[in-house]
Amino acid sequence: MAKIDINVKILRYQPAKDEKPHWQDFAISVEDESTVLDVLNEIHWQHDGTLAYRRSCRSSICGSCAMKVNGRNVLACETPIHRFGTKLKIEPLSGFEILKDLVVDLEPFFAKLKRIRPYLILDKPLPDKEFVQSPQQLEQIGESTLCILCAACSAACPSSWPNSDYLGPAALLKAYRFVFDSRDDGADQRLEIVNDKNGVWRCHTIFNCMEACPKKIKITEYLSRLKVKVVENSL
Amino acid sequence: MDKNFKQTSRSGSLGWLLQRISAVILFILLLFHFITYHFLTTGRSVSYQQVLERAQSWWFPLLQFAFLITALYHGLNGVWSVLEDYTSSKTWRLVWYSLLLTVGVVLLFVGTLTIIKLYTLKAV
Repeated sequence: MAKIDINVKILRYQPAKDEKPHWQDFAISVEDESTVLDVLNEIHWQHDGTLAYRRSCRSSICGSCAMKVNGRNVLACETPIHRFGTKLKIEPLSGFEILKDLVVDLEPFFAKLKRIRPYLILDKPLPDKEFVQSPQQLEQIGESTLCILCAACSAACPSSWPNSDYLGPAALLKAYRFVFDSRDDGADQRLEIVNDKNGVWRCHTIFNCMEACPKKIKITEYLSRLKVKVVENSL
Repeated sequence: MDKNFKQTSRSGSLGWLLQRISAVILFILLLFHFITYHFLTTGRSVSYQQVLERAQSWWFPLLQFAFLITALYHGLNGVWSVLEDYTSSKTWRLVWYSLLLTVGVVLLFVGTLTIIKLYTLKAV
C-alpha cells in the first residue's frame, strides 16, 4: 500500500449556519486502497470534525452509507477510491431533504416502504414446523430478498425526483418480494396499493435503479413482472 | 404517512396495457409500411401513376387509417404518461389532458382528410 494525494469536494450543509448547501474542498493524503468511507473518516478524524455522514457496518450490509460519488450512487464503505482517480466529488443522495452534510431525511423512504406492508401476511394457519418452499418457488422471488434498503435506487430514479408521492423502486421491489412469495397471502392487498398513479405505473423502465443498486438486483426486471401481475389481477 | 404516498383513485394499468398493445400493432404496421413502400414498387423510380394506384387500392386507406389511429394513441398516451410525472395539480392535469385531446382530434381530422384526398385523387 502506498499513500496518494487526492482532492475531495464535498457538498456541505450545516443547518445552524448555512442558508443553502455549498461545496468545500479537502486536499488529503490516504492509502491508495482506501474506500470512500476511509476518505470520509480521514477528513472527519483529522481535518474537520463537523463533517456529518452515516456509517455503521463497513461491510455493505447495513445500507447506511449510500451517497453520490462523482455522479453515481454508491455505498461509501464498499467503493474503492481508485475507481474515481484522484478527484472525488461527494454529495448526499438526490431527491431527499438534506439534514446535515451527507445525511438525508430517510423518513419518507421508510414510510413508503411501510405502506406496502413489508411483512408476511397470512390467511392460513401457521404450519407445525417451518413453511416448506420449493427451489422453484424460491426462484420466483430470487434476488429481490437481497435489498438492504440503502435508498440508492430510489434516489437514482428520475420518476422520484419530481414526484415525492411516487412509491419508488425500493418499496415496489419489496412489494414484488412478498407478492411473489409462495408463503404470503397478502398479494391482493399489495397489488391494490401498487396499482396506483403514484405506484408501479410511474416506473418507466429507465434502469437507473438497477445501475445504482449496490447488490446488483435486477430491480427494473422485477418491477416489470409486478406490472404484468397487476394487470393480470385487475382484468 | 399520507404525505409520503398520496394514494389516488386513478390507476395507470389500462394506459400501460394499451401502450404495449399499440406498440405491437405499430411494429406490425411498420412492417407492412416498409413492404408496400420499398419492396412492392417495381423499377428504379416510382411514378405518379404508381403512387396513385397504390393510394387508391382498397387496402391502402385502411392501412393508413390504422397507422394514424395507433400512432396518435401511442404518441399522445406516451406524452401524457411523462406529463403525469411532473403534474400533480388537478387544474394543470386538466389543462394538459385537454390540450393533448385537442391535438389528437385535430391531427386525426387532418390525417383522415389526407387519406380521403389521396383515395379520391384523379389521375393526370
